[in-house]
Amino acid sequence: MATLRDVAIVGVGYSEIERRSEKSVTQLTIEAAAAAVADAALTFQDIDGMASYPGSYDSIPCFTLIDAAGIPGVTWFADISGWAPAAIAPVIDAAHAVALGSCQTALVFRSVKRNREKAPGVVTTPRVGGDMQFRAPFGDAMTSQWLAMWARRHMHEYGTTEEHLGAIAVTFRDHAALNARAPLRDPITLDDYFASRVVTTPFRLLDCDFPVDGAGAVVITTMERARDRPHTPVKVLGGEVATGERPDWEQWPDLTTMASKHASDALWRRTGMSAADVDVAEVYDGFSWLALCWLEDLGFCEKGEGGPFIAEGNVRLGGRIPANTHGGSLSGGRLHAISHVIECVEQLRGEAGERQVEGARTGVVTAGGGTMGGALLLGTNY
Amino acid sequence: MIPLPQPDQETRFFWDACARKELMILRCNACHLYIHPPRPACRRCGSTDVGPARVSGRGVIHSYTVTAQPVPGYEPPFTVVLVDLEEQEGLRLVSQIVDVEPQDVRIGMPVEVTFRQASDDVWLPFFAWRR
Repeated sequence: MATLRDVAIVGVGYSEIERRSEKSVTQLTIEAAAAAVADAALTFQDIDGMASYPGSYDSIPCFTLIDAAGIPGVTWFADISGWAPAAIAPVIDAAHAVALGSCQTALVFRSVKRNREKAPGVVTTPRVGGDMQFRAPFGDAMTSQWLAMWARRHMHEYGTTEEHLGAIAVTFRDHAALNARAPLRDPITLDDYFASRVVTTPFRLLDCDFPVDGAGAVVITTMERARDRPHTPVKVLGGEVATGERPDWEQWPDLTTMASKHASDALWRRTGMSAADVDVAEVYDGFSWLALCWLEDLGFCEKGEGGPFIAEGNVRLGGRIPANTHGGSLSGGRLHAISHVIECVEQLRGEAGERQVEGARTGVVTAGGGTMGGALLLGTNY
Repeated sequence: MIPLPQPDQETRFFWDACARKELMILRCNACHLYIHPPRPACRRCGSTDVGPARVSGRGVIHSYTVTAQPVPGYEPPFTVVLVDLEEQEGLRLVSQIVDVEPQDVRIGMPVEVTFRQASDDVWLPFFAWRR
């Protein structure tokens, strides 16, 4: 086994992010990839590794980007399939590949172009197989419904309220107002939150991420190479992906604690660090409650105290642990956490402008909900 | 139209039982663990001697969500429930509760299976309030 090398993120970039982009998903991906490579002052000729999580949405695999953009030297690649914590999983895989020497400089991307014909969770086949045969016939086919039942259980056991969920939406929207790239920037109040239509209780529309078309990409290389790049290297301090003994949306033993708990515990155990070392948290918020659960399971507050913790302003800019400083997925758009990774990098470089967390040098990024979780710890000055 | 199950060799017994208005759950014949969704082996003892066992159909609501937008086969509002079956801690079924107003559904509510016909040959195990 080769000696493990320290690795860092040296480039980040986005495509345009639009509610409805006229560009193809491949165009969007090339834009993001080119922006990330340029940010690192590199070219596509320098890329020899690639990873993505195409997921079940419209996206592209590595081969399409290699072929379309002309990235000739890729020797290591990974398209992650099946259930996975979105954009965190390929970032961790690429960091491992660089650390092990499988490649020197890897490009990681996540592209999302919405399917106009079919909303997520809508079953269009007359018969449903696999484990979904125990859900879809009962009208239970959307991720929002599965996680709504986790959130409801949390409310039952800990007294979490709709006002607490609303505080998440309001807080992240206030952060998005300071982010020129966020699609939803007009401030909202709790009244606006309660006026938004119910999707599936306890989730309202403002508890759900905002679907957009767009792509994000990051460039990962060795710490040694990173020192020659123009930006402050953002070192990958740790990255863990986790599930539990019953990776099933219904049979998971304790619905108040997601795989976020296992990923968080592994992250702290492996890095020897804790929530107390973290200056900024970009936590997955495909639905509002997921962010609450991640904040609890990472240890920023006691289990069950996430609602009051957020409602008291602790995760606001200027609070104890600013979270989702770009607006998260709720107001920054559903990019499946690649935007969370990029935001954390920009914060740690000190390049987040109006929404900069003063003196941020360590940040945690997470992705996934329910039965899957991924957590990434990034830092400068290490 | 309601999306209908596509039974396979591991799940056919479940749907066949429902069509007879019986609720059956796969069970390990060696250590008696109930296994749902059905799998070809027992996760606790490793035995592959598993087979259907009839259960009471009684349970309590573990969690629920009142869905307010249409999904294939159902007009809103309807209440999706997770039911803890009484036979084993954490043995849960996804279903819908019937004949209870959405605002009256509670975690911990005792329920009992009731079968509703979804097509010529498919019956679905729904649940009703066990008062």
